[in-house]
Amino acid sequence: MAAVTFNNISKRYKDGPKAVDDLNLEITDGEFMVLVGPSGCGKSTALRMIAGLEEISDGELRIGERVVNEVPPGDRDIAMVFQNYALYPHMTVRQNIGFALEVAKVRKDEINRRVEDAAEMLGLTEYLDRLPKALSGGQRQRVAMGRAIVRSPQVFLMDEPLSNLDAKLRVQMRSDIIQLQARLGTTMVYVTHDQVEAMTMGHRVAVMRKGVLQQVAPPQELYLRPANLFVAAFIGSPAMNLITADVTIEKATGGDQPDDVFVSFGGHRLRISPKALDRYPGLRERNGTKVIFGLRPEHFAMEEDLEVGDDQILTIRCDLAEAMGAEVHIHAVIDVPPPAVDGAPIAAEDDPEALVAGTKVIARVDGIHTIAMGQDVRLAVKTHLTHFFDPASGAPLR
Amino acid sequence: MSVRRKGPKATAIRIITYVLLVVVAVVVVFPFAVAVTTSFKRNTDIFTYPPSLIPKKDSTIPAADVGLDGDPVPVFTFPARDDRPGRWALVDADASLAEFRPLDDLERVIVLDVKAGEKTGATVTIDGEEEDVFLVDDGGTQVEAYRSRLTSGGLFVSVDDPSTSVLDLVNFATPAREFGPRFANFTEVLAEKDPETNGKGVGRSLTNTVLVTILVVLGQIITSILGGYAFARVQFKGRSTIFLVYLGSVMIPFVVLIIPLFQLMLQVNWRDNLVALIIPFAFTAYGTFLMRQFFLGIPAEIEEAALLDGASRSTILWKVMVPLARPAIATLATFGFLYAWNSFFWPLVIINSGNPDNAVLSLTLSTLGGRSSTDTNLVFAGTVLAMTPPILVFLFAQRYFVENSASSGLK
Amino acid sequence: MGLRDRGPRTPRVAVDTGVQLVAAWHLVGVAAGIVSMLLASRSGDDALPAVIKLFVQVFSIAVTVAHLAAAYGTFRRMRRARTVSLVTNYLLFVVSGSALLHQLGAFTGIGKFGTGLNKAFLPFMVIVVGLLWVLVAGQLLAKKPLAAGPNGLRRAGWGLVALASVWFVIAADPSGMLSMIGDRITQPLTLGTLAVALCSGAATRFMWQRRVAVHFGTSASEEQTLSGLAFLSPNLIGFSFFFAGPLLFSLVVSFFEWKTTGTGRSFVGIDNYVRALSLDLSSSDVANAGNEVLKPGYQVLMHLDWFGQNWVLGARDVEFWISLRNITIFLVLAVPASVLPALVLSSILASRLPGMKVFRAIYFIPSVAGVIGVAIIWGQLFQSTVGWINYLILRAGEILPFVDPPAEGHPWLSSNSTALLSMVVVFAWMNFGFNTVLYLAGHQSIPKELYEAADIDGANVWQVFRRITVPQLRNTTFYVLITTSILALQLFDIVWILSTPEPGGPNNATTTPVLALYEEAFQGNDQGYASALAWVLFLIIFGFTFAQFRQQKDGATSGGVS
Repeated sequence: MAAVTFNNISKRYKDGPKAVDDLNLEITDGEFMVLVGPSGCGKSTALRMIAGLEEISDGELRIGERVVNEVPPGDRDIAMVFQNYALYPHMTVRQNIGFALEVAKVRKDEINRRVEDAAEMLGLTEYLDRLPKALSGGQRQRVAMGRAIVRSPQVFLMDEPLSNLDAKLRVQMRSDIIQLQARLGTTMVYVTHDQVEAMTMGHRVAVMRKGVLQQVAPPQELYLRPANLFVAAFIGSPAMNLITADVTIEKATGGDQPDDVFVSFGGHRLRISPKALDRYPGLRERNGTKVIFGLRPEHFAMEEDLEVGDDQILTIRCDLAEAMGAEVHIHAVIDVPPPAVDGAPIAAEDDPEALVAGTKVIARVDGIHTIAMGQDVRLAVKTHLTHFFDPASGAPLR
Repeated sequence: MSVRRKGPKATAIRIITYVLLVVVAVVVVFPFAVAVTTSFKRNTDIFTYPPSLIPKKDSTIPAADVGLDGDPVPVFTFPARDDRPGRWALVDADASLAEFRPLDDLERVIVLDVKAGEKTGATVTIDGEEEDVFLVDDGGTQVEAYRSRLTSGGLFVSVDDPSTSVLDLVNFATPAREFGPRFANFTEVLAEKDPETNGKGVGRSLTNTVLVTILVVLGQIITSILGGYAFARVQFKGRSTIFLVYLGSVMIPFVVLIIPLFQLMLQVNWRDNLVALIIPFAFTAYGTFLMRQFFLGIPAEIEEAALLDGASRSTILWKVMVPLARPAIATLATFGFLYAWNSFFWPLVIINSGNPDNAVLSLTLSTLGGRSSTDTNLVFAGTVLAMTPPILVFLFAQRYFVENSASSGLK
Repeated sequence: MGLRDRGPRTPRVAVDTGVQLVAAWHLVGVAAGIVSMLLASRSGDDALPAVIKLFVQVFSIAVTVAHLAAAYGTFRRMRRARTVSLVTNYLLFVVSGSALLHQLGAFTGIGKFGTGLNKAFLPFMVIVVGLLWVLVAGQLLAKKPLAAGPNGLRRAGWGLVALASVWFVIAADPSGMLSMIGDRITQPLTLGTLAVALCSGAATRFMWQRRVAVHFGTSASEEQTLSGLAFLSPNLIGFSFFFAGPLLFSLVVSFFEWKTTGTGRSFVGIDNYVRALSLDLSSSDVANAGNEVLKPGYQVLMHLDWFGQNWVLGARDVEFWISLRNITIFLVLAVPASVLPALVLSSILASRLPGMKVFRAIYFIPSVAGVIGVAIIWGQLFQSTVGWINYLILRAGEILPFVDPPAEGHPWLSSNSTALLSMVVVFAWMNFGFNTVLYLAGHQSIPKELYEAADIDGANVWQVFRRITVPQLRNTTFYVLITTSILALQLFDIVWILSTPEPGGPNNATTTPVLALYEEAFQGNDQGYASALAWVLFLIIFGFTFAQFRQQKDGATSGGVS
C-alpha cells in the first residue's frame, strides 16, 4: 500500500486547454479519496495519469516513494475498475480475474487459490466459469472488482464504477465498496460525477473544475465550508441557492450587541443571524455592496415548523411543488439576474438559456405540508447557516 | 417495398416478385448445372444435339439375363421398326447373315440368317450379274428376293421375351442409352500428366493451389493483424502519413505492378516458382484496413485493463485483441482464400515454363480448356473441382463475407 | 506485494555489458559494410549484374553509416542511440534473414514442398479435418463451458491432428529437402549470413528490452513509435518491396526501351507514351484509302466520311486504339448490364420476405466461383452447334412468335459482331450478384419511415421504387457504377479464355487494353512500352477513382474505408 502524490501535475493536449492544471494533491496511504466534479473537469484524466494511461505533461507523480511518470502502467502495481468494467469478453470470470496473475507468470495453483478467494469475497464463486455476457450488470461490476483485488495492488483506481448500475444496486454496491476498502485498507482513488457518492464514500473528497482543484476536504467540511462558489453550488442536492444580494449592516445600538446584517434581493429582505458573521467575517466589510448569498434548500422551513422573527421570513410564490414523500421541494423564482462569475454560470449544469429570467430557488420543507402551485408560501430561513461569496472572484467572504 | 400489405393485388405482386427471383436464380444456377452434369459425361456425349443435362452411357444387361456367361451384353433398340418394339440385347455381334433385296423394291434390304430362304430356281439379272431368286420371309409374308450380300452382323434377343430373337446389321440398330455418370473423369483429370493414361495433372495443380492459398491466407492474416493493430491502437510518429499512403495504394490497379513485379521476380530468380505467387501477396492493404476498423471498434478500456494487468503490447494483441477479432479474421481469411484460389493473371505471367509441377489450378484449367481443348468432359471435371472449394467456403463464411463485401466500400 | 513475488528469473546479461557488446557489434558492422562495398564494386569477370551491384553498393553504404551512428551513439549512451541501433539491427536482421532463407533455397523450395504435399495429400486432408474438428469443439466449449464432453472432443481432435502430422511427415518424405539444406548451410557465404542474422537478431532482442530503454532514457512517445513501427514492419517491408518499389520502378521503365530479356535498355523519354497515343488524321480522295495517305509508321485505324469528304484516321499503335474502342463499348454495355439488375433485385431482396437470404446467396455465387471456370462453362454454352444458348433460342422461337432464331447455329464467339457482346453477358452474369449485395447495404441506410410514409400516401410499387428507392440509393449507385467500371476496364481473364481463334479475336474484336499490354510485355518482349500502356490505363482508371473520391467527399452517406 502506498500514498499517491501529485506535484504540480499538468496535462496538456495538443491545441486544447489544459485538462489538468497544476494539480497538487496528496492521497495518504490507506485513504479513500474521491475525485468529483462535472464532466470534463479533469478528474478522470487525473486518475488515468495515476494508472499510466495518460502521459503527464508536467510535474511529478509519485506512488509511494517512487516517481512513476515514465513507469508503464503494468509496472505501477495498481489496479483499476472501469466505468464499463472492461471485462475480457472472451474469457470466463475465472480467466478474467486471473489474467493479471497469468501475465505475471504466477503458478497455476496459486492463481486458482487467489481467484477463488477473491470470488468468495465477492460472492462470485458459482459464476467462475461463465462468460461475462452471461452475467448481470452487478455481477460484471463485481468481476471487475475481483480483477482488481486479486492482485493486492498498492492502489485501487475506480472510474465511475457504479454509473452503469440501476439506482438500487448502486446503493448496495456503494456500501460494499466502502466495506471492502475498509477491510483491505488499500489506498483508493475513486472518480465520480455523483456528489452523493462522493459525500458518502470518501474519507476526503477532491472537487475539480476545468482541470483545477477547487477544494480537498472531508465531506462534512465541503458541505459546511465550501472553498468557493463552485464547490458551494456543486456539493449538496438539491444545489445551494445562490442569489445576488445587497448587504446592509446596521450598527448595533447596544455596546455588546452584534451588528444587524441584512441582505436584500428582488424585493425581499432578510436579517442574517450574527452567527453567520462568525463564519463569514469578511461580510463586515461589504456594507452597501453586492455579494452572492448562498442558502441551502434544506435550511428553509415552513413558517409554522420553525420559530423565527418576522424579518427572517421569506415569502415566495410557489411555481412548482415536488412532493417527495418525506419532504416537499418548492420551486420559485426570485426577481434578480442569476449570479455569474466572470460572465460564466457557476455550475456546469446551469443552463445559460433558462426559460425564466430570474434566479431559481428551491426550498426543502417537511413532507407533511401540502403546497399548491401558485400559492404564496412563507418560509422561515435558518440564517445562521447561510453562505456569502464575493461576486467577482467567487471566494467566500471569510 | 411494403411487406405488410394484404389483398389480391399485393398477392399478385408477391407472386410476380418470386417468379422474377426464381427466373434469375435459374439463370445463375443453370450454367453450374451444365458444368456439373458435363463433368460426369462421356466426351462423345457432350457434342450431341440437342444438348442434355443428363450424363448417359450405353445400356447393358447382365449376360445371365439372356442365358449367356461372361461380360454384360449391350442393349439396342430399333426405333424405325414397329415390328421390333422394346429393347434388344446383342448376344452375338458376329453372326453370319445374308442380305436379301426384294425384286419389287431393290432399295429395300431384308437381313436374314445365312441359311434362310429357299431357292425358287429362277434367276434374275441385276447390274449385269445373274442372281438366284429366293423365296424369303419378310415379316410374315413370303416375297421373292435375291441375295445381294453375305456378311456378318448381330443376333439380337428381346430383353422382354428372351425367346424372340432377330438378326440384323448392328448399324441398323440404335444403342440404347441410360443414365450413367462417368466418375473416371475425375480420377483421370487428377492423375499425373500422361498421354497414355489420359492424365491431365490437375491433381498436382490442386495441391499447389491449396499450398499457395493456405500460405497467402496465413501471411495476410498475420501481417494484417499486426499492421491493423499498429494503425488502430499504437500512437506513433508518422502513423497518419503512412496510413494515407496505404489508403492511396488501393487506387493503384494491379496491371501497373505486373511488369515491375515480373522484373523483380527475375532478379531474385523466383520466376516459374510457387513462391512468386505467395510472398508478394502476403501483404494486403485491404486486410490491414479491415483489421484496423475492427480493432478500432473494440473498447479502449479493454486494452487499458490489460495494460494495467501488466500485459505487454504483444500479449494484449494475441491474448485479448485477436480472440475478439475472430469475425474480422474470418472475413479476411475468406477474402484471402477467394483471391488466392481464383487468381489467374499473375500466375499466367510468372508461371510460364509449362512445367505442370509449378502450375496452379486456374492456369492448368485455362490451358486445358483453352482454344485447342480436347476431352471436354475432363476439362469440366477439373472446372468443377476448381469451383467447389470457393463456393463451399463462400457458403460457410457467408455471414461474414456478405456483410463485409458491403461494408468494404460503403457504410 | 502481489505481483512482485514471482518465481526466480533466469539470469540475464547486465545492461552495461550488453550495451558494450552491441556497440562492438556495430563496429564490426562498419567494417563489414566497407568490405562488402569494396567486394560489390569489383570489376572484371566476376562483376555483379548492374542492378544488383548498385543495390548492394547503396545497401552497404547505408549499413555502414547506420552502424557508425549506432556505434557512436551507443558508446556515448545518447538517447537516440537505442532507436538507431534497433532500427539498424532489425532491418539488418530482416535482410540477412531473407538472404539466408534465399541461400538455403527456402523460397524456391516451396515448389518442392508442393511435391511433398502432393505425395501426402491424404494425411494433409486429415490434418485439415482434425483442425476443423478442434474449431467446432471449441465453439461448443464456448457455448457450454461446464460440459466435459467437448473438451474431450477437442483433445481427440488434437490427437488426430498430431497423428496425421506424423503420417504427413512420413508420406511427404522431407529427407531430400533436409539434405539440401544440410549441403547449403556449410557454404561459407551461408555461414556468414547466418552469423550476421544471429548477431543482429540477438542485438535487436537485447536492445528491445525495457531495462535497456530505461538505461538510454527512451521517452514514452519514442517507445510508442518503436513499437508501432515494429508491429507495422512486416506489412511495411512487404508493402515497400512488393508495392511501392515496383510502382516507382514501373514509372521509370515506362521511359525506357526495356526488353524483357537481353540488354536492350535505353532511355527514350516520353517516346513510349507518344507511340501509344499518336493519331493521324488525313483526308483522302478515295474511299477506303490505305496506309499510304498517313504519315510513315501509322496504320489505318478507321475510315470516316464527313460532309462528303473521305478521311482516314491512323494510329501508330492500332491495336491499342482498337482495344480502347472495344473497352469503351464494353464499358457502356457491361456496366449497366451488371448494375441495373442489381438495383432491381436488391430492392426486392431488401423487403425481408421469406427466402431472400437464399436468393442473395445464390446470386452471389458467380462472383466467387472463379473467372476461369466460369469462362470455360460459358464457352461451352456459347458453342455454335451444340451449345445451350442457340438451342434455347431455337426452342424459344418455337414458343414465342417474336423470336426469330437463325437457321444455322450462331457462332457467338467467332463472329465479329457478337464476340464482345458475349463477354458482356459473362461479365454481367458474374458481377451482378456482388453489386446486389452492395446495393443491399445501401438499402439498410434508407429510413424505413420513408416507405411507411409512402404506404400511407398510397404509392404503388413502381412509384415507391422510382421516387424513394432510386433517389435514396444515389450514392450507392455511384459507388457501384465506379467500382464496376474499374473492374470492367481491366477486362482480361474472360477474353483470354473465351475469345477465338486467338486471344482478342476474331479480328481484334475483343482485344482489351490489358490484353494489349500483356502481349506487348510478355509476348512482344517490350516491357518499357507495355509499362507506358499500363500508366495510360492507370490514368484512365484513376479518373474513375478520383470521381468516386470527390463524390465521397460530397456525399456524407457513403463514408468509404476511413
